[in-house]
Amino acid sequence: METTEALDKKINKKAPVKKVQKEKTKLGTLLLGVPVILWLLMIVIIPVILMLIMSFKIKSGYEITNIFTFQNYLSFFKNSTYWRILLKSFRMAFIVSFTAIIVSYPLAFFISRVLKKGRSFLFMLIIIPLWVSYLVRIIAWRTILGNNGLLNNLLMGLHITKQPLSIFLYNNFSVILTLTYIAIPFVFIPLYTALEKIPNNLVEAARDLGANDFHVFKSIILPLSAPGFITGFMLSFILALGDYIIPQQLGGKTGLMFGNIVWSQFGFASNWPLGSALGFILFTIAAVILAITQKFSGEEGIYM
Amino acid sequence: MENGLKFKNSGTVIADNKNSRSKKLKGERKRFSFLSIYSVLIYMFLYIPLFVVVVFSFNSSKSTVSFERFTFSWYIELFKDSALMSAFLHSIEVSLIAVVIAIIIGTSGAFFLVRANFPGKKFFMTIAQLPYVLPGIIVGIALLIFFISLNFKLNAFTIILGHVSFTTPVVLMQMMSRIQRLGKTYEEAAQDLGANPMKTFFLVTLPLIKTAIIGAAFLAFTISFDEIVITYFLTGTWNTLPVFIYGMMRFGLSPKVYAVSSLVLILSIVMVYFMAKFTGKTEEASLKK
Repeated sequence: METTEALDKKINKKAPVKKVQKEKTKLGTLLLGVPVILWLLMIVIIPVILMLIMSFKIKSGYEITNIFTFQNYLSFFKNSTYWRILLKSFRMAFIVSFTAIIVSYPLAFFISRVLKKGRSFLFMLIIIPLWVSYLVRIIAWRTILGNNGLLNNLLMGLHITKQPLSIFLYNNFSVILTLTYIAIPFVFIPLYTALEKIPNNLVEAARDLGANDFHVFKSIILPLSAPGFITGFMLSFILALGDYIIPQQLGGKTGLMFGNIVWSQFGFASNWPLGSALGFILFTIAAVILAITQKFSGEEGIYM
Repeated sequence: MENGLKFKNSGTVIADNKNSRSKKLKGERKRFSFLSIYSVLIYMFLYIPLFVVVVFSFNSSKSTVSFERFTFSWYIELFKDSALMSAFLHSIEVSLIAVVIAIIIGTSGAFFLVRANFPGKKFFMTIAQLPYVLPGIIVGIALLIFFISLNFKLNAFTIILGHVSFTTPVVLMQMMSRIQRLGKTYEEAAQDLGANPMKTFFLVTLPLIKTAIIGAAFLAFTISFDEIVITYFLTGTWNTLPVFIYGMMRFGLSPKVYAVSSLVLILSIVMVYFMAKFTGKTEEASLKK
Protein backbone atom coordinates (compact mmCIF):
# COMPACT_ATOMS: atom_id res chain seq x y z
CA MET A 1 0.00 0.00 0.00
CA GLU A 2 2.66 2.42 1.08
CA THR A 3 4.78 1.74 -1.95
CA THR A 4 1.96 2.39 -4.38
CA GLU A 5 1.22 5.66 -2.63
CA ALA A 6 4.84 6.68 -2.83
CA LEU A 7 4.84 5.79 -6.49
CA ASP A 8 1.68 7.76 -7.04
CA LYS A 9 3.30 10.76 -5.45
CA LYS A 10 6.32 10.38 -7.63
CA ILE A 11 4.22 10.30 -10.75
CA ASN A 12 1.88 13.14 -9.82
CA LYS A 13 4.06 15.74 -8.24
CA LYS A 14 1.16 18.08 -8.22
CA ALA A 15 -0.66 20.13 -5.66
CA PRO A 16 -3.47 18.40 -3.78
CA VAL A 17 -5.96 20.80 -5.43
CA LYS A 18 -5.76 18.64 -8.54
CA LYS A 19 -6.99 15.66 -6.62
CA VAL A 20 -10.61 16.73 -6.86
CA GLN A 21 -10.33 17.03 -10.60
CA LYS A 22 -8.60 13.69 -10.88
CA GLU A 23 -11.52 11.97 -9.18
CA LYS A 24 -13.89 13.70 -11.55
CA THR A 25 -12.15 12.59 -14.73
CA LYS A 26 -11.87 9.10 -13.43
CA LEU A 27 -15.47 8.17 -14.15
CA GLY A 28 -15.11 9.20 -17.77
CA THR A 29 -11.79 7.39 -18.00
CA LEU A 30 -13.33 4.25 -16.59
CA LEU A 31 -16.08 4.43 -19.20
CA LEU A 32 -13.39 4.55 -21.87
CA GLY A 33 -12.22 1.21 -20.57
CA VAL A 34 -15.50 -0.55 -21.35
CA PRO A 35 -14.78 -1.47 -25.01
CA VAL A 36 -11.31 -2.80 -24.29
CA ILE A 37 -12.51 -4.82 -21.31
CA LEU A 38 -15.35 -6.30 -23.36
CA TRP A 39 -12.91 -7.08 -26.18
CA LEU A 40 -10.52 -8.72 -23.75
CA LEU A 41 -13.29 -10.86 -22.30
CA MET A 42 -14.93 -11.86 -25.56
CA ILE A 43 -11.92 -12.28 -27.81
CA VAL A 44 -9.21 -13.40 -25.42
CA ILE A 45 -10.28 -14.66 -22.02
CA ILE A 46 -13.46 -16.58 -22.82
CA PRO A 47 -12.01 -18.31 -25.92
CA VAL A 48 -8.94 -19.43 -23.97
CA ILE A 49 -11.15 -20.71 -21.15
CA LEU A 50 -13.31 -22.56 -23.68
CA MET A 51 -10.17 -24.09 -25.15
CA LEU A 52 -9.15 -25.20 -21.68
CA ILE A 53 -12.59 -26.74 -21.07
CA MET A 54 -12.46 -28.46 -24.46
CA SER A 55 -9.11 -29.98 -23.54
CA PHE A 56 -10.73 -31.91 -20.67
CA LYS A 57 -13.38 -33.45 -22.89
CA ILE A 58 -12.84 -36.52 -24.99
CA LYS A 59 -13.47 -37.55 -28.51
CA SER A 60 -15.05 -40.95 -28.97
CA GLY A 61 -16.08 -41.96 -32.43
CA TYR A 62 -17.52 -38.90 -34.08
CA GLU A 63 -18.80 -37.35 -30.88
CA ILE A 64 -17.18 -35.11 -28.34
CA THR A 65 -18.21 -36.43 -24.92
CA ASN A 66 -18.87 -34.02 -22.11
CA ILE A 67 -16.97 -35.76 -19.37
CA PHE A 68 -14.15 -34.29 -17.37
CA THR A 69 -10.95 -36.21 -18.01
CA PHE A 70 -7.21 -35.69 -18.09
CA GLN A 71 -6.84 -38.25 -20.80
CA ASN A 72 -5.73 -35.84 -23.51
CA TYR A 73 -2.93 -34.55 -21.32
CA LEU A 74 -2.01 -38.10 -20.33
CA SER A 75 -1.81 -39.15 -23.96
CA PHE A 76 0.56 -36.26 -24.58
CA PHE A 77 2.96 -37.72 -22.03
CA LYS A 78 2.33 -41.35 -22.96
CA ASN A 79 2.59 -40.91 -26.69
CA SER A 80 6.26 -40.23 -27.26
CA THR A 81 5.72 -38.76 -30.72
CA TYR A 82 3.99 -35.77 -29.17
CA TRP A 83 6.55 -34.77 -26.60
CA ARG A 84 9.42 -35.79 -28.83
CA ILE A 85 8.23 -33.39 -31.48
CA LEU A 86 7.75 -30.73 -28.82
CA LEU A 87 11.34 -31.22 -27.67
CA LYS A 88 12.49 -31.08 -31.26
CA SER A 89 10.53 -27.87 -31.76
CA PHE A 90 12.22 -26.47 -28.66
CA ARG A 91 15.60 -27.30 -30.15
CA MET A 92 14.70 -25.72 -33.47
CA ALA A 93 13.25 -22.61 -31.84
CA PHE A 94 16.41 -22.32 -29.78
CA ILE A 95 18.63 -22.50 -32.85
CA VAL A 96 16.43 -19.96 -34.65
CA SER A 97 16.50 -17.45 -31.79
CA PHE A 98 20.19 -17.90 -31.15
CA THR A 99 21.08 -17.43 -34.81
CA ALA A 100 18.75 -14.47 -35.20
CA ILE A 101 20.40 -12.74 -32.23
CA ILE A 102 23.94 -13.43 -33.43
CA VAL A 103 23.02 -12.08 -36.85
CA SER A 104 21.08 -9.04 -35.63
CA TYR A 105 23.34 -7.85 -32.84
CA PRO A 106 26.21 -6.45 -34.93
CA LEU A 107 23.67 -4.82 -37.21
CA ALA A 108 21.74 -3.27 -34.31
CA PHE A 109 25.04 -2.11 -32.80
CA PHE A 110 26.14 -0.57 -36.07
CA ILE A 111 22.91 1.28 -36.75
CA SER A 112 22.21 2.43 -33.21
CA ARG A 113 25.68 3.35 -31.98
CA VAL A 114 28.02 3.83 -34.92
CA LEU A 115 25.95 5.51 -37.58
CA LYS A 116 25.01 9.13 -37.11
CA LYS A 117 22.81 9.59 -40.13
CA GLY A 118 19.94 7.71 -41.66
CA ARG A 119 19.29 5.66 -38.56
CA SER A 120 15.52 5.73 -38.65
CA PHE A 121 15.48 4.93 -42.35
CA LEU A 122 17.73 1.90 -41.93
CA PHE A 123 15.75 0.86 -38.89
CA MET A 124 12.57 0.94 -40.96
CA LEU A 125 14.26 -1.00 -43.73
CA ILE A 126 14.92 -3.86 -41.33
CA ILE A 127 11.48 -3.97 -39.81
CA ILE A 128 9.51 -3.59 -43.03
CA PRO A 129 9.81 -7.34 -43.68
CA LEU A 130 8.15 -7.84 -40.30
CA TRP A 131 4.88 -6.50 -41.62
CA VAL A 132 5.29 -7.33 -45.26
CA SER A 133 3.70 -10.56 -46.27
CA TYR A 134 4.59 -13.64 -44.33
CA LEU A 135 3.39 -15.80 -47.22
CA VAL A 136 5.52 -13.98 -49.76
CA ARG A 137 8.59 -14.73 -47.69
CA ILE A 138 7.69 -18.42 -47.58
CA ILE A 139 7.16 -18.42 -51.34
CA ALA A 140 10.51 -16.71 -51.78
CA TRP A 141 12.42 -19.33 -49.83
CA ARG A 142 10.67 -22.19 -51.54
CA THR A 143 11.74 -20.66 -54.83
CA ILE A 144 15.32 -20.33 -53.72
CA LEU A 145 15.74 -23.69 -52.01
CA GLY A 146 13.66 -25.94 -54.25
CA ASN A 147 14.90 -28.72 -56.49
CA ASN A 148 14.54 -26.47 -59.50
CA GLY A 149 15.31 -23.54 -57.34
CA LEU A 150 17.74 -20.70 -57.65
CA LEU A 151 20.34 -22.15 -55.32
CA ASN A 152 20.54 -25.41 -57.25
CA ASN A 153 20.73 -23.57 -60.54
CA LEU A 154 23.48 -21.42 -59.19
CA LEU A 155 25.45 -24.44 -57.97
CA MET A 156 24.99 -26.24 -61.27
CA GLY A 157 25.86 -23.11 -63.19
CA LEU A 158 29.10 -22.86 -61.24
CA HIS A 159 29.69 -26.59 -61.88
CA ILE A 160 29.82 -27.34 -58.18
CA THR A 161 27.20 -30.05 -58.58
CA LYS A 162 25.98 -31.85 -61.67
CA GLN A 163 22.50 -32.64 -60.48
CA PRO A 164 20.13 -30.57 -58.42
CA LEU A 165 20.54 -31.27 -54.71
CA SER A 166 17.44 -32.02 -52.71
CA ILE A 167 19.14 -31.24 -49.42
CA PHE A 168 17.98 -27.65 -49.24
CA LEU A 169 14.23 -28.02 -49.08
CA TYR A 170 11.81 -30.13 -47.06
CA ASN A 171 13.91 -30.69 -43.97
CA ASN A 172 14.79 -29.04 -40.67
CA PHE A 173 17.36 -26.83 -42.34
CA SER A 174 14.90 -25.08 -44.63
CA VAL A 175 12.47 -24.58 -41.75
CA ILE A 176 15.15 -23.14 -39.49
CA LEU A 177 16.47 -20.88 -42.24
CA THR A 178 13.04 -19.44 -43.05
CA LEU A 179 12.10 -19.03 -39.40
CA THR A 180 15.38 -17.24 -38.76
CA TYR A 181 14.74 -15.01 -41.74
CA ILE A 182 11.40 -14.10 -40.22
CA ALA A 183 12.80 -13.76 -36.69
CA ILE A 184 15.60 -11.31 -37.55
CA PRO A 185 13.45 -8.13 -37.61
CA PHE A 186 11.64 -9.36 -34.52
CA VAL A 187 14.90 -9.70 -32.62
CA PHE A 188 16.38 -6.56 -34.10
CA ILE A 189 13.84 -4.18 -32.53
CA PRO A 190 14.50 -4.94 -28.84
CA LEU A 191 18.26 -5.17 -29.45
CA TYR A 192 18.24 -1.80 -31.17
CA THR A 193 16.10 -0.22 -28.44
CA ALA A 194 18.37 -1.54 -25.69
CA LEU A 195 21.57 -0.47 -27.44
CA GLU A 196 20.22 2.95 -28.27
CA LYS A 197 19.36 3.63 -24.64
CA ILE A 198 22.92 3.18 -23.39
CA PRO A 199 24.11 6.69 -22.54
CA ASN A 200 27.14 7.84 -24.47
CA ASN A 201 28.75 9.47 -21.46
CA LEU A 202 29.10 6.05 -19.83
CA VAL A 203 31.20 4.95 -22.78
CA GLU A 204 33.18 8.18 -22.73
CA ALA A 205 33.78 7.91 -19.00
CA ALA A 206 35.08 4.38 -19.43
CA ARG A 207 37.40 5.53 -22.21
CA ASP A 208 38.70 8.39 -20.08
CA LEU A 209 39.51 5.86 -17.42
CA GLY A 210 41.60 3.97 -19.94
CA ALA A 211 39.27 1.25 -21.14
CA ASN A 212 39.90 0.01 -24.65
CA ASP A 213 37.21 -0.95 -27.18
CA PHE A 214 37.06 -4.48 -25.99
CA HIS A 215 36.62 -3.45 -22.35
CA VAL A 216 33.98 -0.89 -23.20
CA PHE A 217 32.08 -3.50 -25.14
CA LYS A 218 32.48 -6.21 -22.52
CA SER A 219 31.70 -4.21 -19.42
CA ILE A 220 29.26 -1.59 -20.68
CA ILE A 221 27.63 -2.31 -24.01
CA LEU A 222 27.08 -6.02 -23.59
CA PRO A 223 25.62 -6.02 -20.05
CA LEU A 224 23.44 -2.99 -20.72
CA SER A 225 21.98 -4.54 -23.84
CA ALA A 226 20.98 -7.65 -21.91
CA PRO A 227 17.28 -6.71 -21.73
CA GLY A 228 17.25 -6.54 -25.52
CA PHE A 229 18.84 -9.97 -25.70
CA ILE A 230 16.27 -11.49 -23.41
CA THR A 231 13.26 -9.89 -25.06
CA GLY A 232 14.47 -10.65 -28.56
CA PHE A 233 15.35 -14.21 -27.74
CA MET A 234 12.05 -14.97 -26.04
CA LEU A 235 9.88 -13.35 -28.69
CA SER A 236 11.54 -15.15 -31.53
CA PHE A 237 11.48 -18.37 -29.53
CA ILE A 238 7.71 -18.16 -29.14
CA LEU A 239 7.32 -17.19 -32.78
CA ALA A 240 9.33 -20.19 -33.95
CA LEU A 241 7.86 -22.65 -31.47
CA GLY A 242 4.27 -22.09 -32.50
CA ASP A 243 4.57 -21.82 -36.26
CA TYR A 244 2.80 -24.39 -38.40
CA ILE A 245 2.68 -22.82 -41.85
CA ILE A 246 6.44 -22.68 -42.43
CA PRO A 247 7.01 -26.33 -41.43
CA GLN A 248 4.04 -27.28 -43.59
CA GLN A 249 5.38 -25.42 -46.59
CA LEU A 250 9.11 -26.01 -46.23
CA GLY A 251 9.50 -28.84 -43.76
CA GLY A 252 8.31 -31.82 -45.72
CA LYS A 253 7.99 -34.98 -43.65
CA THR A 254 11.09 -34.53 -41.53
CA GLY A 255 10.71 -30.85 -40.74
CA LEU A 256 7.37 -31.03 -38.93
CA MET A 257 6.96 -29.10 -35.70
CA PHE A 258 4.63 -29.08 -32.72
CA GLY A 259 2.32 -26.58 -34.39
CA ASN A 260 1.64 -29.07 -37.19
CA ILE A 261 0.48 -31.68 -34.69
CA VAL A 262 -1.86 -29.19 -33.05
CA TRP A 263 -3.10 -28.08 -36.44
CA SER A 264 -3.76 -31.61 -37.67
CA GLN A 265 -6.12 -32.22 -34.75
CA PHE A 266 -8.33 -29.50 -36.16
CA GLY A 267 -7.83 -30.70 -39.71
CA PHE A 268 -7.79 -34.26 -40.93
CA ALA A 269 -7.20 -35.92 -37.54
CA SER A 270 -10.21 -33.99 -36.27
CA ASN A 271 -9.75 -34.48 -32.57
CA TRP A 272 -10.57 -31.11 -31.07
CA PRO A 273 -10.20 -32.10 -27.40
CA LEU A 274 -6.70 -33.46 -27.99
CA GLY A 275 -5.85 -30.46 -30.17
CA SER A 276 -7.05 -28.16 -27.39
CA ALA A 277 -4.90 -29.94 -24.84
CA LEU A 278 -1.84 -29.66 -27.06
CA GLY A 279 -2.74 -26.05 -27.78
CA PHE A 280 -3.09 -25.33 -24.09
CA ILE A 281 0.33 -26.85 -23.43
CA LEU A 282 1.75 -24.50 -26.05
CA PHE A 283 -0.17 -21.60 -24.51
CA THR A 284 1.27 -22.37 -21.06
CA ILE A 285 4.81 -22.53 -22.39
CA ALA A 286 4.38 -19.24 -24.24
CA ALA A 287 2.79 -17.56 -21.20
CA VAL A 288 5.64 -18.67 -18.91
CA ILE A 289 8.21 -17.39 -21.41
CA LEU A 290 6.40 -14.05 -21.68
CA ALA A 291 6.16 -13.71 -17.91
CA ILE A 292 9.91 -14.31 -17.58
CA THR A 293 10.59 -11.81 -20.36
CA GLN A 294 8.49 -9.15 -18.74
CA LYS A 295 10.28 -9.65 -15.46
CA PHE A 296 13.73 -9.21 -16.95
CA SER A 297 13.15 -6.54 -19.53
CA GLY A 298 12.20 -2.95 -18.90
CA GLU A 299 8.88 -1.53 -17.89
CA GLU A 300 7.89 -0.19 -21.25
CA GLY A 301 5.96 -1.97 -23.94
CA ILE A 302 8.42 -4.40 -25.33
CA TYR A 303 6.56 -5.88 -28.22
CA MET A 304 6.39 -3.04 -30.63
CA MET B 1 20.60 -2.10 -53.10
CA GLU B 2 20.86 1.62 -53.45
CA ASN B 3 20.03 2.04 -49.80
CA GLY B 4 22.71 -0.34 -48.73
CA LEU B 5 25.28 1.69 -50.61
CA LYS B 6 24.00 4.90 -49.19
CA PHE B 7 24.54 3.95 -45.60
CA LYS B 8 27.81 2.29 -46.34
CA ASN B 9 29.07 5.61 -47.56
CA SER B 10 27.87 7.49 -44.54
CA GLY B 11 29.59 4.92 -42.38
CA THR B 12 32.94 5.60 -43.97
CA VAL B 13 32.39 9.33 -43.79
CA ILE B 14 32.01 9.11 -40.05
CA ALA B 15 35.04 6.92 -39.80
CA ASP B 16 36.99 9.44 -41.88
CA ASN B 17 36.17 12.28 -39.55
CA LYS B 18 37.21 10.36 -36.53
CA ASN B 19 40.37 9.25 -38.22
CA SER B 20 41.48 12.77 -38.91
CA ARG B 21 40.80 13.66 -35.32
CA SER B 22 43.17 11.17 -33.79
CA LYS B 23 45.37 8.34 -34.88
CA LYS B 24 44.22 6.26 -31.99
CA LEU B 25 40.96 5.60 -33.75
CA LYS B 26 42.57 4.19 -36.87
CA GLY B 27 41.55 0.68 -35.93
CA GLU B 28 38.01 1.88 -35.52
CA ARG B 29 37.69 2.68 -39.18
CA LYS B 30 38.58 -0.85 -40.08
CA ARG B 31 36.04 -2.21 -37.67
CA PHE B 32 33.33 0.11 -38.87
CA SER B 33 33.93 -0.71 -42.48
CA PHE B 34 33.76 -4.36 -41.52
CA LEU B 35 30.44 -3.64 -39.81
CA SER B 36 29.14 -1.74 -42.79
CA ILE B 37 30.02 -4.57 -45.18
CA TYR B 38 28.39 -7.00 -42.80
CA SER B 39 25.28 -4.82 -42.67
CA VAL B 40 25.07 -4.63 -46.45
CA LEU B 41 25.19 -8.42 -46.55
CA ILE B 42 22.35 -8.70 -44.04
CA TYR B 43 20.25 -6.21 -45.98
CA MET B 44 20.89 -8.30 -49.07
CA PHE B 45 19.87 -11.42 -47.20
CA LEU B 46 16.64 -9.70 -46.16
CA TYR B 47 15.73 -8.25 -49.54
CA ILE B 48 17.08 -10.60 -52.22
CA PRO B 49 14.44 -13.28 -51.55
CA LEU B 50 11.69 -10.70 -51.98
CA PHE B 51 13.40 -9.40 -55.08
CA VAL B 52 13.49 -12.93 -56.53
CA VAL B 53 9.72 -13.22 -56.22
CA VAL B 54 9.18 -9.94 -58.06
CA VAL B 55 11.64 -10.87 -60.81
CA PHE B 56 10.01 -14.22 -61.52
CA SER B 57 6.58 -12.65 -61.68
CA PHE B 58 7.71 -11.11 -64.97
CA ASN B 59 9.10 -14.34 -66.38
CA SER B 60 7.38 -15.64 -69.49
CA SER B 61 8.51 -19.19 -68.73
CA LYS B 62 6.67 -21.16 -66.10
CA SER B 63 9.82 -22.53 -64.55
CA THR B 64 12.12 -20.79 -62.12
CA VAL B 65 15.15 -22.36 -63.76
CA SER B 66 15.82 -19.42 -65.98
CA PHE B 67 14.41 -16.08 -66.87
CA GLU B 68 13.22 -16.20 -70.46
CA ARG B 69 11.39 -13.14 -71.51
CA PHE B 70 9.88 -10.15 -69.73
CA THR B 71 6.11 -10.29 -69.65
CA PHE B 72 3.15 -8.66 -67.92
CA SER B 73 0.82 -11.48 -68.87
CA TRP B 74 0.69 -13.06 -65.41
CA TYR B 75 -0.57 -9.82 -63.98
CA ILE B 76 -3.23 -9.61 -66.63
CA GLU B 77 -4.25 -13.14 -65.78
CA LEU B 78 -4.66 -12.14 -62.15
CA PHE B 79 -7.27 -9.59 -63.08
CA LYS B 80 -9.11 -12.15 -65.17
CA ASP B 81 -9.28 -14.59 -62.25
CA SER B 82 -12.58 -13.70 -60.64
CA ALA B 83 -12.09 -15.95 -57.60
CA LEU B 84 -8.79 -14.23 -56.88
CA MET B 85 -10.23 -10.78 -57.37
CA SER B 86 -13.08 -11.48 -55.00
CA ALA B 87 -10.63 -12.85 -52.42
CA PHE B 88 -8.71 -9.61 -52.80
CA LEU B 89 -11.84 -7.54 -52.22
CA HIS B 90 -12.71 -9.74 -49.23
CA SER B 91 -9.31 -9.01 -47.76
CA ILE B 92 -9.78 -5.27 -48.15
CA GLU B 93 -13.20 -5.53 -46.56
CA VAL B 94 -11.96 -7.60 -43.60
CA SER B 95 -8.97 -5.38 -42.97
CA LEU B 96 -10.91 -2.12 -43.23
CA ILE B 97 -13.64 -3.21 -40.83
CA ALA B 98 -11.19 -4.84 -38.42
CA VAL B 99 -9.05 -1.70 -38.39
CA VAL B 100 -11.99 0.62 -37.73
CA ILE B 101 -13.11 -1.55 -34.80
CA ALA B 102 -9.54 -1.83 -33.53
CA ILE B 103 -9.08 1.94 -33.69
CA ILE B 104 -12.19 2.49 -31.57
CA ILE B 105 -11.33 -0.16 -28.98
CA GLY B 106 -7.60 0.52 -29.04
CA THR B 107 -7.75 4.30 -28.75
CA SER B 108 -10.35 4.41 -26.00
CA GLY B 109 -8.54 1.55 -24.28
CA ALA B 110 -5.25 3.41 -24.51
CA PHE B 111 -6.73 6.45 -22.74
CA PHE B 112 -8.15 4.14 -20.12
CA LEU B 113 -4.87 2.31 -19.56
CA VAL B 114 -2.72 5.43 -19.48
CA ARG B 115 -4.98 7.52 -17.25
CA ALA B 116 -6.85 5.18 -14.96
CA ASN B 117 -5.17 3.65 -11.97
CA PHE B 118 -6.35 0.27 -10.85
CA PRO B 119 -4.76 -2.78 -9.29
CA GLY B 120 -3.45 -5.28 -11.80
CA LYS B 121 -3.02 -2.72 -14.55
CA LYS B 122 0.27 -4.19 -15.68
CA PHE B 123 -1.28 -7.65 -15.81
CA PHE B 124 -4.18 -6.27 -17.84
CA MET B 125 -1.76 -4.78 -20.34
CA THR B 126 0.14 -8.03 -20.64
CA ILE B 127 -3.05 -9.98 -21.32
CA ALA B 128 -4.18 -7.37 -23.82
CA GLN B 129 -1.00 -7.92 -25.84
CA LEU B 130 -1.44 -11.68 -25.95
CA PRO B 131 -3.38 -11.97 -29.22
CA TYR B 132 -0.53 -10.25 -31.01
CA VAL B 133 2.34 -11.92 -29.19
CA LEU B 134 1.08 -15.48 -28.79
CA PRO B 135 1.60 -17.94 -31.61
CA GLY B 136 -1.28 -17.44 -34.02
CA ILE B 137 -2.25 -21.07 -33.79
CA ILE B 138 -3.37 -20.64 -30.16
CA VAL B 139 -5.52 -17.61 -30.92
CA GLY B 140 -6.84 -19.44 -33.98
CA ILE B 141 -8.00 -22.57 -32.19
CA ALA B 142 -9.33 -20.67 -29.16
CA LEU B 143 -11.46 -18.45 -31.41
CA LEU B 144 -12.54 -21.41 -33.53
CA ILE B 145 -13.79 -23.24 -30.44
CA PHE B 146 -15.47 -20.04 -29.23
CA PHE B 147 -17.32 -19.45 -32.49
CA ILE B 148 -18.37 -23.05 -32.93
CA SER B 149 -19.69 -23.26 -29.38
CA LEU B 150 -21.76 -20.13 -30.13
CA ASN B 151 -23.05 -21.93 -33.24
CA PHE B 152 -21.56 -19.31 -35.53
CA LYS B 153 -20.97 -20.32 -39.11
CA LEU B 154 -17.46 -19.64 -40.33
CA ASN B 155 -17.78 -16.67 -42.66
CA ALA B 156 -16.75 -13.04 -43.09
CA PHE B 157 -17.94 -12.18 -39.61
CA THR B 158 -15.76 -14.75 -37.84
CA ILE B 159 -12.74 -13.72 -39.88
CA ILE B 160 -13.31 -10.05 -39.02
CA LEU B 161 -13.58 -10.85 -35.31
CA GLY B 162 -10.43 -12.91 -35.63
CA HIS B 163 -8.65 -9.91 -37.11
CA VAL B 164 -9.97 -7.63 -34.39
CA SER B 165 -8.21 -9.92 -31.91
CA PHE B 166 -4.72 -8.99 -33.10
CA THR B 167 -5.24 -5.55 -34.64
CA THR B 168 -6.53 -4.17 -31.32
CA PRO B 169 -3.29 -4.74 -29.38
CA VAL B 170 -1.36 -3.19 -32.27
CA VAL B 171 -3.44 0.00 -32.09
CA LEU B 172 -3.49 -0.10 -28.29
CA MET B 173 0.29 -0.15 -27.98
CA GLN B 174 0.82 2.55 -30.59
CA MET B 175 -1.77 4.82 -29.03
CA MET B 176 -0.58 4.25 -25.48
CA SER B 177 2.90 5.48 -26.27
CA ARG B 178 1.45 8.54 -28.02
CA ILE B 179 -0.92 9.39 -25.17
CA GLN B 180 1.81 8.89 -22.61
CA ARG B 181 4.01 11.41 -24.41
CA LEU B 182 1.10 13.80 -24.87
CA GLY B 183 0.51 14.31 -21.17
CA LYS B 184 -2.54 15.97 -19.75
CA THR B 185 -1.56 19.63 -19.86
CA TYR B 186 -3.31 20.60 -23.10
CA GLU B 187 -6.57 19.08 -22.07
CA GLU B 188 -6.38 20.64 -18.63
CA ALA B 189 -5.72 24.00 -20.22
CA ALA B 190 -8.76 23.60 -22.46
CA GLN B 191 -10.90 22.65 -19.52
CA ASP B 192 -9.62 25.55 -17.45
CA LEU B 193 -10.71 27.78 -20.31
CA GLY B 194 -14.20 26.38 -20.04
CA ALA B 195 -14.35 23.66 -22.69
CA ASN B 196 -16.55 20.70 -21.84
CA PRO B 197 -15.16 17.17 -22.23
CA MET B 198 -16.72 16.78 -25.69
CA LYS B 199 -15.23 20.02 -26.94
CA THR B 200 -11.90 19.24 -25.34
CA PHE B 201 -11.75 15.91 -27.10
CA PHE B 202 -12.69 17.10 -30.57
CA LEU B 203 -10.88 20.43 -30.56
CA VAL B 204 -7.77 19.59 -28.53
CA THR B 205 -7.11 15.90 -27.96
CA LEU B 206 -8.14 14.49 -31.32
CA PRO B 207 -6.03 16.87 -33.43
CA LEU B 208 -3.07 16.04 -31.21
CA ILE B 209 -3.40 12.27 -31.62
CA LYS B 210 -4.65 12.30 -35.20
CA THR B 211 -1.37 11.35 -36.84
CA ALA B 212 -0.84 8.54 -34.35
CA ILE B 213 -4.30 7.16 -35.11
CA ILE B 214 -3.67 7.25 -38.86
CA GLY B 215 -0.26 5.64 -38.42
CA ALA B 216 -1.68 2.91 -36.21
CA ALA B 217 -4.46 2.32 -38.73
CA PHE B 218 -1.98 1.82 -41.56
CA LEU B 219 0.11 -0.54 -39.46
CA ALA B 220 -2.91 -2.55 -38.34
CA PHE B 221 -4.20 -2.69 -41.92
CA THR B 222 -0.88 -4.00 -43.22
CA ILE B 223 -0.70 -6.71 -40.57
CA SER B 224 -4.33 -7.66 -41.07
CA PHE B 225 -4.19 -7.70 -44.86
CA ASP B 226 -1.39 -10.23 -44.74
CA GLU B 227 -2.58 -12.46 -41.90
CA ILE B 228 -3.06 -16.17 -42.52
CA VAL B 229 -2.12 -18.14 -39.40
CA ILE B 230 -5.25 -17.17 -37.45
CA THR B 231 -7.47 -16.61 -40.48
CA TYR B 232 -6.84 -20.14 -41.73
CA PHE B 233 -8.69 -21.54 -38.71
CA LEU B 234 -11.64 -19.20 -39.07
CA THR B 235 -12.21 -19.59 -42.79
CA GLY B 236 -15.20 -21.37 -44.20
CA THR B 237 -15.89 -20.98 -47.89
CA TRP B 238 -15.48 -17.21 -47.80
CA ASN B 239 -11.75 -16.60 -48.07
CA THR B 240 -9.29 -13.79 -47.90
CA LEU B 241 -6.42 -13.21 -50.32
CA PRO B 242 -3.67 -14.91 -48.24
CA VAL B 243 -5.87 -17.98 -47.76
CA PHE B 244 -6.56 -18.00 -51.50
CA ILE B 245 -2.84 -17.72 -52.30
CA TYR B 246 -2.17 -20.51 -49.84
CA GLY B 247 -4.62 -22.64 -51.79
CA MET B 248 -2.84 -21.78 -55.04
CA MET B 249 0.46 -22.88 -53.50
CA ARG B 250 -0.83 -26.42 -53.13
CA PHE B 251 -0.49 -26.81 -56.87
CA GLY B 252 3.08 -25.63 -56.74
CA LEU B 253 4.58 -22.25 -57.30
CA SER B 254 3.73 -20.56 -60.55
CA PRO B 255 4.40 -17.15 -62.06
CA LYS B 256 0.84 -16.32 -61.16
CA VAL B 257 1.64 -16.92 -57.49
CA TYR B 258 4.68 -14.70 -57.90
CA ALA B 259 2.60 -12.00 -59.57
CA VAL B 260 -0.03 -11.89 -56.83
CA SER B 261 2.72 -12.04 -54.19
CA SER B 262 4.46 -9.09 -55.79
CA LEU B 263 1.26 -7.09 -55.73
CA VAL B 264 0.73 -7.92 -52.04
CA LEU B 265 4.34 -6.98 -51.39
CA ILE B 266 4.03 -3.64 -53.10
CA LEU B 267 0.74 -2.84 -51.41
CA SER B 268 2.25 -3.65 -48.01
CA ILE B 269 5.30 -1.52 -48.64
CA VAL B 270 3.10 1.41 -49.66
CA MET B 271 1.11 0.94 -46.47
CA VAL B 272 4.22 0.83 -44.32
CA TYR B 273 5.48 3.93 -46.07
CA PHE B 274 2.34 5.83 -45.11
CA MET B 275 2.54 4.43 -41.61
CA ALA B 276 6.10 5.72 -41.30
CA LYS B 277 5.09 9.04 -42.75
CA PHE B 278 2.46 9.56 -40.11
CA THR B 279 4.30 8.21 -37.09
CA GLY B 280 7.84 8.65 -38.33
CA LYS B 281 8.19 12.29 -37.43
CA THR B 282 7.54 11.76 -33.76
CA GLU B 283 9.71 8.67 -33.83
CA GLU B 284 12.62 10.57 -35.28
CA ALA B 285 12.28 13.33 -32.73
CA SER B 286 12.54 10.84 -29.92
CA LEU B 287 15.49 9.18 -31.59
CA LYS B 288 17.40 12.44 -31.89
CA LYS B 289 17.02 13.12 -28.21
